Amino acid sequence: MEYLAGKREMALEDKLKILTDAAKYDVACTSSGVDRKGDGKSIGNCVAAGICHSFSGDGRCIALLKILLTNECVFDCKYCRNRCSNDVPRATFTPEEICTLTMEFYRRNYIEGLFLSSGVIGNPTATQELICRTVWLLRNRYRFNGYVHVKAIPGAAPEVIQQTGFLADRMSVNLELPTAEGLRTLAPNKHRKSILTPMRQIQTGIQVNRNDLTLYRSAPKFVGGGQSTQMIIGATPESDYQIINVAESLYRKFELKRVFYSAFVNVTGDKSLPALPGGPPLLREHRLYQADWLLRFYGFRAEELLDEKRPYFNVMLDPKEDWAVRHLERFPVEINRAPLEELLRVPGIGVKSAQRIVAARRSGSLTFPDLKKIGVVLKRALYFITCGGRMMYPVKIEEDYIVRNLTSEKDRVRFGSDGMSYKQLSLFDDAEFTRPVTVIERQQTAVGQL
Amino acid sequence: MIVYRCEDTLESVFTAIYRAYEEKRNHDDTLLCLTEDPILFAEDVPVAADEDRTRKVMGTLERRFGRDDCERLIMALASEDEEKAQAVYRTVVQGLRGKSRPGHLFDNLADRDIHKAFALARGVSTEVGHQRQFLRFQELADGMLFSRIGPKNDVIVFLMPHFADRLPIENFVLYDEIRNLFGIHPAGKPWYLLRGEEADRPEGLRYSDREWQYQELFRQFCHTITVEGRENRKLQKGMLPLRFREYMVEFS
Repeated sequence: MEYLAGKREMALEDKLKILTDAAKYDVACTSSGVDRKGDGKSIGNCVAAGICHSFSGDGRCIALLKILLTNECVFDCKYCRNRCSNDVPRATFTPEEICTLTMEFYRRNYIEGLFLSSGVIGNPTATQELICRTVWLLRNRYRFNGYVHVKAIPGAAPEVIQQTGFLADRMSVNLELPTAEGLRTLAPNKHRKSILTPMRQIQTGIQVNRNDLTLYRSAPKFVGGGQSTQMIIGATPESDYQIINVAESLYRKFELKRVFYSAFVNVTGDKSLPALPGGPPLLREHRLYQADWLLRFYGFRAEELLDEKRPYFNVMLDPKEDWAVRHLERFPVEINRAPLEELLRVPGIGVKSAQRIVAARRSGSLTFPDLKKIGVVLKRALYFITCGGRMMYPVKIEEDYIVRNLTSEKDRVRFGSDGMSYKQLSLFDDAEFTRPVTVIERQQTAVGQL
Repeated sequence: MIVYRCEDTLESVFTAIYRAYEEKRNHDDTLLCLTEDPILFAEDVPVAADEDRTRKVMGTLERRFGRDDCERLIMALASEDEEKAQAVYRTVVQGLRGKSRPGHLFDNLADRDIHKAFALARGVSTEVGHQRQFLRFQELADGMLFSRIGPKNDVIVFLMPHFADRLPIENFVLYDEIRNLFGIHPAGKPWYLLRGEEADRPEGLRYSDREWQYQELFRQFCHTITVEGRENRKLQKGMLPLRFREYMVEFS
C-alpha cells in the first residue's frame, strides 16, 4: 500500500524523467507530412517539412515531446526496457498532465507537438482508449492545433484506433523486428499478424478519407501525415537485404510514409540478445537509411542495391556509390544532356542538385565550376560525369581505381597526381630535375661512365 | 557609369531599381551601392526611398517572376552582405531581359549575379529556418511571451508571420538585440515591427513563477532523451550551431 501511496504523490519532474527515459528508444521524432495553418482561435499550426526544435547529445532531433503515457506493461518483449519482468521504476501520466506539459512547452517554442506512446496497461484496447482520450482532451479542451503522433497498439479494437486516427496527424505501429521468426523469439506476446492488422486498417482509413475529402472538403482528416513504423537493427540475424526488402514492401503495399531503423541498444541484458562490444551498429543503421532514401526519392529498387549473394551493404562505400561502381557501363553521364532519372543515379548529385541542373542547362551549357555552385559534390561525382564531353580530370573508368579514390580521403585524384598530365614533354623538363646530384653521379660523370 | 547610392532598406533598393528603368540607364553600366565608398569616374545619384515606387516594383516583380521568386529577392535583400543590392538588381535586369517565366528567375545558376542573389536568399532562408527552430519564448510575469534573438541577417520580418499564425491568441514579442528591433504581436490583432532607440533595450524583465519550472522540466527532458550508447556531440554541433545556444534555455 505504501508503494501505491508514494506513486500517487510522485512529482511531475520524476514522472517526466521516467517516462521520457522509457520512450527514448523509439526513433520516430519527425513532425513532417502535414501543412496546416493556424485557425486564429487555438494554438498551433503544422509545417509540411517539419521543424526540429533542439538536438540531444546523441545528435538526434527533438521535435516532439516524446513520452510514454505509462511504462507499466503486461508484455514481456526481451529487447524492451519496459518489459514486465524488468525491475524499473514505473509511472503513469494523467491525461491532464500530458496536455499541460504539451501546451506549455509548445507556447515556448520548445516542441512541435506530442509523440505519445504507451506500455500496455490492462489490455491493448484499454490502453488505446487512454491514448485516445488524452489526445481528445488536448485537441478539444486545450485547443491544441499542432502536431500529434500517436501509437496504434497492436491488438486494440479497430473502433478505438479509428477514433484516434481522426485526432492524430500521424500514427505508427512498430514492426519491431523485420521477420516473423525474430518476433517470435524476442517478443512472445506480439504476433506479426496483430501488428500488420492495425497497419492495414490505418492504410485503408487513409484511402477512404482521401476519397471523402475529394467529395467533401470539410470532412475530418484521418491520419493526415501518414503512418510510419520502426525496425530494430542488429538484435536478430536478418541481413540488410531482407530488411530493405521488408521496407520496400511496406512502402509499396502499406503506403507507409517512413520506415525508421533503430540500431539495437542492449538495455535489458537478456541472454537471448546479442552482446554488442563495439556499441550499437550505427554504421549499419546509417547505410540502411541511405538505402531507404534511394528507394523513396531516387527511383532505386531493393534488388538493384543488394541481392542474395551480397546481402550486406558495403562498409566503405555508400549504397549509391556501391551501385555506381558495379554499373560502370552506364557511366559517364553527360550533365548537359542526361535525363533527370539518370542524373539522380550519379553519386554526389542529390534530388535538388539534379533538378537545378535540369533547370540551369536550359539557359546555357554547364561546366564543372557551375556544378559546384549548384551544389553537386564533385569529389564523388567526378568519376561518373562529363560536362560538354569532358571529364573533370583524366580519370580511368575502372572499378578498382574509382573505389580506391572514393574510399581513401588522402589520395583523391588531383590533376597530374597519378602521373597523367597534359604538359608538353621537354628534354630538360624532368620530374627529377630538382633532385641534388649525388656523389656517385658526379664521379661517374668525371670518369665518363654515364 | 551611374552609381545609385541606396540605404540598406528594401524600399530604397526597389526605388533605385525603379529609377534605373525610369531614367533609361544602360543596365550594364549602372551600379547599386549601399556603401559610401567612392568609385572613380562615376556619377553618384543619391536615392530616397519612395513608397509608391517600391509598391510598383513589388507588383511588377510578383507579376513577372511569381510570388516565390519575388520572395526570394526580398530575402536576398535582408542579408547582411554589402553587394546584395547589385546582385538583386542584376538578377531583376536579367529576368526582365530574358523574359523568364514565373518561377524560373533563378534557373540560370551558372550566371554570377543570379547565383549570388540565390545564395544570399538561401542563406537568409536558412537562418529563418534556424530561428524558427531554435528561438525560445520566456513567459513574463504578466503572461506575455518574450524572445531575445541575435540573428546574423535581418530575419524578424520573416519570422513574425510564422509565429503569429502559430500563436494567434498569445501576446508575444520577438526582440532582435543586434538591430534593436521589436516584432510585436498583440493577441488576436495584426503584428507590427518597432525599431527601438538605445534607451528602449529591455532590461530587468520579470519572469513568471512557472517559467523556471518549465525551463527546468525541458532541460531535464533534453537530458533524459539522449541515448548514452549513441552519444555524438559532433553531430549535435553540426545540427545545432553553437551561436544559437546562448539564447536557448536548455543550454543555459
